[in-house]
Amino acid sequence: MAPVSPPGGSAASLSQTVFGVEFQSPVLLASGTCGYGEEYSDLIPLDEIGGLVTKAVSEDPRPGNPPHRVAETPGGMINAIGLQNVGLDRFRAEKLPWLAANLRRARVLVNVVGRTADEFAAVVAGLDDADGFLGYEINVSCPNVEGGTLFGTDPGALSKLVARVRTATERPVVVKLTPNVPDIGLYARVCEEAGADGLSTINTFPGMLIDVERRRPVIGNTSGGISGPAILPMGVYLTWCAARAVSLPVIGIGGIRSANDALQYILAGARLVQIGTALFVDPDVAIEVHRGIAAHVERSDAACLAELVGAVEVAADV
Amino acid sequence: MARPLRRRARVLSNAQTAAGTWWLELEAPEFAAAARPGQFLMIGFGLDHLDAPFLPRPFSIGWRGSDGRIGLLVREFGGGTRRLGALRRGESVLLLGPLGRPFSIPADRRLVCVAGGVGLAPFLFLVPEALRGGADVSLLYGERSADRVFDPDLIERLTGLRAELFTEDGSAGRAGLVLDGIDTVDRPALFGCGPTPMLRALERLADDADLDLEVSVEEHMGCGVGTCQGCVVRSADGRWVKSCTEGPVFERRELAWPR
Repeated sequence: MAPVSPPGGSAASLSQTVFGVEFQSPVLLASGTCGYGEEYSDLIPLDEIGGLVTKAVSEDPRPGNPPHRVAETPGGMINAIGLQNVGLDRFRAEKLPWLAANLRRARVLVNVVGRTADEFAAVVAGLDDADGFLGYEINVSCPNVEGGTLFGTDPGALSKLVARVRTATERPVVVKLTPNVPDIGLYARVCEEAGADGLSTINTFPGMLIDVERRRPVIGNTSGGISGPAILPMGVYLTWCAARAVSLPVIGIGGIRSANDALQYILAGARLVQIGTALFVDPDVAIEVHRGIAAHVERSDAACLAELVGAVEVAADV
Repeated sequence: MARPLRRRARVLSNAQTAAGTWWLELEAPEFAAAARPGQFLMIGFGLDHLDAPFLPRPFSIGWRGSDGRIGLLVREFGGGTRRLGALRRGESVLLLGPLGRPFSIPADRRLVCVAGGVGLAPFLFLVPEALRGGADVSLLYGERSADRVFDPDLIERLTGLRAELFTEDGSAGRAGLVLDGIDTVDRPALFGCGPTPMLRALERLADDADLDLEVSVEEHMGCGVGTCQGCVVRSADGRWVKSCTEGPVFERRELAWPR
């Protein structure tokens, strides 16, 4: 691929062509941690990073789970928001126009969720001719709603879903996988064979936190998804497993809070990365990770970032 | 709402004022200038700090000095607040704010501020602002017992007002609940901040007497700016609304109250 120097003439090119378009940076913001973009526009220079993935969009608005929805866990957090979102119509009418008007270089993936393959396809069909986004991240891995991981843990259902979404759009289709399977490579291959353009690895791990004094779960939904630095090594490993199973571009997610963390995902095989929980601690982390990766590439022997993708050297095949 | 500020702030002092309770003063002139009573900030230690609090914690802006100081009332509930209580002069913290919807101070009526426990915090900021605006304000402050009571002299020094103190066990101030001290004869506006049972009782009182009431709610929070949707409370029309951006101050008729 032909790397392009980013505007401003930084020596190290982070630019890559992924899903047929240029990403000026490998750093994206993860679904569920950046709202619909606008909420963070005062704090994060969104158009200087690679892009963002919206909060999940379902066909109809969803109310979400009762509180508490979030709590701190060692080195991270647990959440069970329950996919609260404004629904397809309001997303298209109220949220996409802001993204279309304000993001010129940053790429937007719309995270799509549904209870049935029909609902996934309906959301995609309902958005497909709108402006303001590049493609879709298909969410088959939410641990916080009933049936949220149904598609992500059944290879047959996953294959049919991806094929169904594939027929509904020409735009890039990225599938966000759950870590909660014995062999993520199998699910990665299923997505590739069904026509996906990329994978996002990983969504949160299911978990539970108990208030000992009250003898009740802390989270209103009883269980939730664990994110944050605590899950970094699991995310890196599962990204490595997925990336070596397929030739699709993989987006690495899970616990990134530094350029070093992001580079671990990239060396494991991720073309792009997403930052989530760390944004809550310090919104500056997105641009700092971007700059830190650039500094690393500059002082490394790699001519561009793309040369580092999957460049981890393992002693023996495992 | 003005663009939130993101700054590192130095700890000027952190004094234990009661059991598990600290008065934390930070050098944060821009926050002091921008803040309005009822707004909050997120306070944290940044991404190198994996021990509690890893996630930043929301705190009512508890006061501002003319010299750029702000004060926060910290009460220990777990590891995160314990670490904040252990802050020493010269350490620094990360602040994001001011955030959220402030109280709307009425110009035409007496104002009764009802504080339960650490719910005192926003009123340490609000009372002097209201007094400066010429309002007729009273501050009712309740705690479980004397050992939990935030120093009444310090309250007076910060606010210019002597709080009417209540303890449940009668070990300081008047015995009983803070609600017992509310006089509704002249139809004051009520502001409340404190534990949920206190807010519910206060809402019932306001509903029975048909009084205006604004409450500052508290819920676990992730981001503080509306992205994560973690901090929701139930609205009167049955939706989950974000306490960070739609609150934390709500008019009582905006919220759903159990009956």
